[in-house]
Amino acid sequence: MTRSDPNICWDSGPLPSTVRVGTNTRINGQHAFRRIRASASDALIVGSNTTIDGVQFSIGPDARVSIGDYCCFTAAVIMSECRISIGNYVLIGFNAVIADSDFHPLDPAARIADAMACSPAGGGMVRPKVAAAPVVVEDDVWIGPGAVIFKGVHIGRGAWIAPGSMVTRSVPAGTCVGGNPARPMERPD
Amino acid sequence: MRRIEGDWFPGGIPDNVEVQEGAYIETASSFSRFRSLRPSAVRMGKNSSAYAGCMFDLGPDAELDVGPWTLFNGLWVIADAKVSIGAFGLISWNVVVMDCYRVVHDIDARRRQLEAFAASRDLNLLSRHSASDAPRPVVIEDNVWIGFDCCILPGVRIGSGSVVGARSVVATDVPANCLAAGNPARVVRNLGAEERQHG
Repeated sequence: MTRSDPNICWDSGPLPSTVRVGTNTRINGQHAFRRIRASASDALIVGSNTTIDGVQFSIGPDARVSIGDYCCFTAAVIMSECRISIGNYVLIGFNAVIADSDFHPLDPAARIADAMACSPAGGGMVRPKVAAAPVVVEDDVWIGPGAVIFKGVHIGRGAWIAPGSMVTRSVPAGTCVGGNPARPMERPD
Repeated sequence: MRRIEGDWFPGGIPDNVEVQEGAYIETASSFSRFRSLRPSAVRMGKNSSAYAGCMFDLGPDAELDVGPWTLFNGLWVIADAKVSIGAFGLISWNVVVMDCYRVVHDIDARRRQLEAFAASRDLNLLSRHSASDAPRPVVIEDNVWIGFDCCILPGVRIGSGSVVGARSVVATDVPANCLAAGNPARVVRNLGAEERQHG
């Protein structure tokens, strides 16, 4: 693909050098790639024939995000400090969030250091270590609008995540979860 | 198609959207996923309003009926049948009201659907339902306040005068004049004489 691909539409022009996109994939999002802080050429890999209508990626310096083929996302938020792998034929609804990190430390003293390091006035202070664990979303998963997938969660093939779910634990293939925290439930028809 | 004066979005309000006297739609971008072919697809009642961030994601057979003085501030309507919202409604940011899940449960059939969608980008392909996932209309009665980030799921009716707390997921009916909250949402208490006295 070329850097001036008409399938990629965001407010800062060409595709960043950290992003690789397959053929016939469409990505539309005003601030889609603004929060990519990684420098690797494969920080974000998106497969072919995927449609992403509205998205914000936040990808930390050492993080990697991969998305498969024939996915369909609507206004999704993908925040990675570690590793997020999304398979093929995955559907993600409006305003759903996938995050593989806690973003900030739990320990109060470390959090003060983190607040200072995160400030534009932090002068390059090193951030304390933050808990992170890879997220895996296997093929054919459906994630409803407003659902949140947290760090370390592995969603098995064909699982169904109800709208608004807070998913803190892994979901076996072919099952349905919902609620806060998300628990197994019967799939509504 | 009617242009909205000063709208940053290049589109307009579709002809089958009725905007009654005093009703306000901030931007036509709210119709960027709108595909309804119904003669009266949307009725925005008198003095109702839909601010930027709203999305009327209506499939070919969908209708949305909005009563007078109802306010949307970033509501997403996902409808393939009918969503009705009464008068004096207050619907907050990022609320999703859906009358269908738009999911084909059979995984092979869903793969074919997504392959066809990638070839055409025709959103109508995602609005096709089998008998097992048919849309179920949603009714939000008069004077309902829905807090931010809520999801109102297919087939739900919310009774008049009720309040739904922020981030709730409403999967079952909510009676009139009560406060419901949680995921899944449950009735927390009735809004009775005390509220009527002290507001």
